Amino acid sequence: MEAVNIQFAPATGTEEEWNEAYARLADYFRSYRLHNRIRRTQLILETLRRAADAHAKDPKRTPTAHAIEQAKRMLHEWLGAIYSDLNLTDSQIEASGRLGFHLCDGPDRWPHFFLDRANLPPDMTEAMRSAVRTSGPRLQISKMTPRDIDLGRITAVAEDTFDTLGRNPLARYALLMVFVGGVLGYFFWLLR
Amino acid sequence: MSDGKATALLQATQGMPPRRYSRARRATFFSFVGLGTILGTWLLCVYLGANGLRWSEIALLAVFVPLYYQLNNGFWTALVGVWLMNRPKYDPLELWRTLSADDYKAPLRANTAIIMPIYNEDVTRVFEGLRSIYLSLQETGQLEHFDFFILSDSDDTNKWIEEEVGWLELCRQLKAFGKIFYRKRRKPINRKSGNVSDFCRRWGKRYRYTVVLDADSLMSGALIDAMVRIMEKNPGIGILQTFPKQIGSETLLGRVMQFAQALYGPAFMAGLDYWQSGEANYWGHNAIIRTAPFIENCALPALPGKEPFGGHILSHDFVEAALMRKAGYAVRLLRTPHGSYEEGPPTLVDMLKRDRRWCQGNMQHFWLLFAKGWHPMSRLNFFHGILSYASSVLWFIFLVLVTFLAALPGTHATEQVVLAEELLLGLTATLIFLPKIVILLDEMFTGRLFQPLKLRLLTFLSCMGDTLVFTLMAPVLMVFHARFVIYTILGKGVSWVAQRRKLDGSIDWWQAFVTYGPITLLGLIWSAVAYFVSLNFLLWISPILISFLLAIPIGILVSGRRSGVRFGLFLTPEEIEKPPVLLQLEENLNEIKDRLQLQPELEHNYGLVQVILDPYVNGLHVSLLRRRRTIHVSRDYLRELAERLIRKGPQSLAPRELKSMIHDTDTVTDLHYRLWSAAEHDLAPFWSMAIKQYNLASSNPFAHLLAQRAPRT
Repeated sequence: MEAVNIQFAPATGTEEEWNEAYARLADYFRSYRLHNRIRRTQLILETLRRAADAHAKDPKRTPTAHAIEQAKRMLHEWLGAIYSDLNLTDSQIEASGRLGFHLCDGPDRWPHFFLDRANLPPDMTEAMRSAVRTSGPRLQISKMTPRDIDLGRITAVAEDTFDTLGRNPLARYALLMVFVGGVLGYFFWLLR
Repeated sequence: MSDGKATALLQATQGMPPRRYSRARRATFFSFVGLGTILGTWLLCVYLGANGLRWSEIALLAVFVPLYYQLNNGFWTALVGVWLMNRPKYDPLELWRTLSADDYKAPLRANTAIIMPIYNEDVTRVFEGLRSIYLSLQETGQLEHFDFFILSDSDDTNKWIEEEVGWLELCRQLKAFGKIFYRKRRKPINRKSGNVSDFCRRWGKRYRYTVVLDADSLMSGALIDAMVRIMEKNPGIGILQTFPKQIGSETLLGRVMQFAQALYGPAFMAGLDYWQSGEANYWGHNAIIRTAPFIENCALPALPGKEPFGGHILSHDFVEAALMRKAGYAVRLLRTPHGSYEEGPPTLVDMLKRDRRWCQGNMQHFWLLFAKGWHPMSRLNFFHGILSYASSVLWFIFLVLVTFLAALPGTHATEQVVLAEELLLGLTATLIFLPKIVILLDEMFTGRLFQPLKLRLLTFLSCMGDTLVFTLMAPVLMVFHARFVIYTILGKGVSWVAQRRKLDGSIDWWQAFVTYGPITLLGLIWSAVAYFVSLNFLLWISPILISFLLAIPIGILVSGRRSGVRFGLFLTPEEIEKPPVLLQLEENLNEIKDRLQLQPELEHNYGLVQVILDPYVNGLHVSLLRRRRTIHVSRDYLRELAERLIRKGPQSLAPRELKSMIHDTDTVTDLHYRLWSAAEHDLAPFWSMAIKQYNLASSNPFAHLLAQRAPRT
């Protein structure tokens, strides 16, 4: 990446809009845990410069949207160069690539080479490629089929009864009331 | 038996207790239980039947018999346990004796999976627990023979993302990629048993043994290693269940239960092992399973009819044990003084919620009581499970009948009737209190739990305290359990909810009032009735009525943090000298407690915030999602949801809508860029705040959930 020109004078958009885009980009790159502030500032300015060009061509979208769009492109280009021969789809490259950078401690070990497609240290490339992981071991499928349990005749009768009662909640509660009423009636008779 | 073991046929039943032992033990044990029950029933018959038996008295006898059987069963289990713990001769069936000193040094030849099925659990506790087990196993030098699986059924989006983040961070810290695996099911079919079956179908063939853990389980590496060795030496064992001791309690209820389990548990376990022999029960966790026969024989069919009695089997563990035994493998209880731990519910309300589920699960086993092919002991295990809840209904009916009988005009009491009454009262008090006294004396003389005299004396005082607490709680629990049984019979099912394992706030007084208020009212009415019956009867039934009347303060008191720890009460050996595996866990959990907290709204939705804002977490989630060729919902629908999420915040979406977005790889990737690209005025205040605060939360997106300190050495 060439030395960053700190002159930034976008042809389109208001100062307020570009300030918002700057703040958003700053937060965005911080979310990559790039603790190196100089590198972060370089990236922000480089991205804003690209966003300014894009905004000039399409001023309907906000500078913030253009800035994040450019950051996304830069990421795609960078990861594409690292994972070019791994036969992955774009979204797989993006998801696994971001994860790979984290898993190999990229933000701490190679902050200066983040999104720098022109300079890819071989150890970083290798570390990122080997860090792409899967979530489980190779499947080894077994059959686990439930066998019917012969529940016997008593259960069959009980099942029919419960089934009948289950279909008719009124009957269920009536049965309970008859039982409770019968017991209470019996006690009343005893106590009379 | 076809479990792939490399053992000679001669040894294939090793671990299955010889029939002569089992029969002799059961004959002895159940003779005592039967005699005790018959004696009690006979005394009651004499007491009631001086002038012939009325129908109400026959009904009283009918409910008395199972209650007295249960009381006798507990009594003799404890006494046999104390006898076993003190007899100089070794128990010939003791499994620990099957291992020689050389066996411990021999290399392991079996692969074992350690699985932890989880459902919306506290993610930090799950992964820190797993880390402690992992490190403990590492210390044994046998880690290479074990793989870990976190099997998630979580349907809470935040929990799901947090689990993924926790898994990755744990693997990164322990360098355990390829050792610890995370699997999330899209549809949690058949709940926990379905989760375990799914594991068995996918990966079961790779492992000779499977150690099943609960989300709150903790096991030492040494014990897991020994369990595998015992299984290797005893190919006749299908399931080996340990005795998980309760740990980590902070409330009075939790600490009393923890203490009671530590003091009385070993005797009861020894007694259970004595008469259950090769037909013990499986409790669903802290156990090791022989995987091949489990896959072959223990898949659970649905029960006939609908829930709550029919449908999916809730308490699957008892049924799996019965199926394993039916297939010819022993199910054994391993007496484990330490190394196997779990956490208990913190409050009485949490305990009741758990009991509600267990009640329904056990009542479902009614169907299985009469099924064909079970070993008689498996049938008895089902019966005991049902009785453990049905006995509350019986006890309640017993008390109602006793009240009505007391209200009847009295007859002249003969000497024989008075003697029978006094003997029955004495016998019942003996059955209730003697096991506690004997176990306490055993501790006083042997110092099994504590050697220092001061601690033994504190144990004595704690025993008095726990007797008081349980005496006050038992009638309250009886009413609730009776209600649960009746609800189940009336067809009111129970939903699957995550368990609370720690007291995360202060006590909710309103909840306590609403929950226990009706019991206090019942106590008031019953007291009035008893007063009108007679003063003597009021005195006789007063222990029950006092418990009813004090239900609200009891509920609040036992759920509070004043647990007597200041006075050295209810101490357990694990509190005095923490085992390394527990110490590691507690130190890590304490570190996490001190982490920077975000705004409550962000903290509550932290998983969602991370998966959308954080490029690494977003990448992780997309990487773990299975890419589908077709999706069940339209792209327009997902776009509309995404738009709403960004403009109105997460509270504008139903959990189901959130899940459908987070399940789709393209939507998740798109959301990440759409949110960062959105102009400030298009963002919901929630997201504006999230963007500003997210980077401040921690220097590492994965450090929010897990401790960062180096492991203990």
